[in-house]
Amino acid sequence: MILEWVRFILAGGCFAVGIVFMILSVFGVNRLHHALNRMHAAAMGDTLGILFVFLGLMLIRGFSMSSLKLFLVILFFWVASPVSGHMISRLEAMTDEDLGEMAVLEFDAIGADGEESPIAGEEELEHESV
Amino acid sequence: MSRRRDNYETSRWKKFLRWEAGEIDPLEQGVEIQVPSVRDREKASDPGDVFPFEDIEESGMYGDRHEEDEAVLKSRGIRFFRRFYCVMSVILCLGIISVLLWTVLYLPPFGNAANPANNEVPMRYLEKGLEETGAVNAVTGMILDYRAFDTFGESCVLFIASCCVLALLRIDAASGDREKKRLMDENDRLFEPKNDIILQKCACVLVPFIFIFGIYIILNGHLSPGGGFSGGAVLGSGLILYLNAFGFKKTERFFTERVYRRVTVCALSFYCLAKSYSFYTGANHLESGIPLGIPGHILSSGLILPLNICVGLVVACTMYAFYTLFRKGGM
Amino acid sequence: MTEQAYDILLLGSLIILAVLIIASMIRSFLGPGISDRIIAINMTGTMVITAIAILSVFLEEDYLVDVCLIYAMISFLGVVVLCKVYTGVYLQKKKLKPDFGAIADNLTHQGEECRERDVRDNKGRHAAGEEDGK
Repeated sequence: MILEWVRFILAGGCFAVGIVFMILSVFGVNRLHHALNRMHAAAMGDTLGILFVFLGLMLIRGFSMSSLKLFLVILFFWVASPVSGHMISRLEAMTDEDLGEMAVLEFDAIGADGEESPIAGEEELEHESV
Repeated sequence: MSRRRDNYETSRWKKFLRWEAGEIDPLEQGVEIQVPSVRDREKASDPGDVFPFEDIEESGMYGDRHEEDEAVLKSRGIRFFRRFYCVMSVILCLGIISVLLWTVLYLPPFGNAANPANNEVPMRYLEKGLEETGAVNAVTGMILDYRAFDTFGESCVLFIASCCVLALLRIDAASGDREKKRLMDENDRLFEPKNDIILQKCACVLVPFIFIFGIYIILNGHLSPGGGFSGGAVLGSGLILYLNAFGFKKTERFFTERVYRRVTVCALSFYCLAKSYSFYTGANHLESGIPLGIPGHILSSGLILPLNICVGLVVACTMYAFYTLFRKGGM
Repeated sequence: MTEQAYDILLLGSLIILAVLIIASMIRSFLGPGISDRIIAINMTGTMVITAIAILSVFLEEDYLVDVCLIYAMISFLGVVVLCKVYTGVYLQKKKLKPDFGAIADNLTHQGEECRERDVRDNKGRHAAGEEDGK
């Protein structure tokens, strides 16, 4: 009986932490001003919020097939969420017209050496491999 | 008229008026990324702040001024007709929405025992389904055994839809060099970022698991919720993720138009052959002669498993073909 | 006793999640740029996945976890495809170079504008100073 209550308190703590992270991320997305800042707030909910809520669910379910699947969901999120953040930030960096006014970035390391035009010819267009 | 230049150029009501006069396409401005020139950017303000229907009362004023400005449409009749058409389309849309919502009020409550859908047919399916079809999942037993011909029609609808998209959107290689060059120039696919190493590594990790998950859903279709349609959608989305990460050149090594054609035709014809015996047994799908096996095992419930695989293949190929056709105009 | 406590816990977090979903949908309506909308929709998807997972425990239906996995996959795929498509559309309209050159182009373009504006301001100031001097 006491063990049951310990489990409940642990799960409830995990839930509370996860929900607090989600509230923070929603607050940040609605409150911050630029898309890059908003992305940072959203990524927190994507990783830590999901982690703690799903840990609580796994504690409730115990060892079973469904808690293994919940763990898979966490793994998937921890792999996929940074990549989607990377894609969004890249879109923002390419399309934001006012980016230079709020951030100073150095692009010498990357090198802007793409001399050829993208519409040069089909052979050049299709070399997509590494 | 004194404050007419302030905020109203970008307000939604002004946009609506301009759309009504046929000047702009609101979807083009609202959904797509705008590419403002320097002058526009200085002038424009944030369009999201203005409440859409705040200044309806002032519509007469703006409408009058707009009529004065317009010199393109000479004929008054055409102008009246366009305006009438736009307003009536909005009214018709709102009317249809309200009628549909009004109908929802009169639907029977969800899950009520006295609903007209609760007659003897679902009772029969639930009571005798496991013993007649051998499928633990009653829904799969229904759609792939009792009503398998219906599902065949659905798969054919998918195939026909992809054929229509192919006929409409395919960029033909034989239609001349200039046409092809023009279409290639207009395609925004050429400008999108390629060879993103982070996305590629992530896809290397994720795509095999997505495929395994899709195959699991398809093969477990008669044991757990899922089946051909959802598993095929998962497989197709895995293919699209791979395509996004590695580009068309890599996917063309294993998935070309010919592969698509062969897989789809084979799956559909196998389905057709496997289910057309019911023409000879008097529209009775149930007596196929294949042993049903033990309910709960993977290899059980007769023809349901191969039919699930067929449906899954068709759905996966159709999803991938839709994506490539809309993106590139070919496979 | 514990089951009631679990029910209250799960139901309470479901209600909070529903409020959060609405709050993040607001950003997707308001958001001025396309990337703001994509961020908000991605986060809405995260909340929905969490809600589905909590429902799967609350209703004790294991298959809802599968729905979770598929939802996560589709939302990730949607973000990737939308980002690529919108980047392509933008670069095509601006006639910029693809890939990292685009970011550099974007920034150098803005740098030139800023420099031009500075030069213009300085000229104005010089002119004003000369007028003052005269």
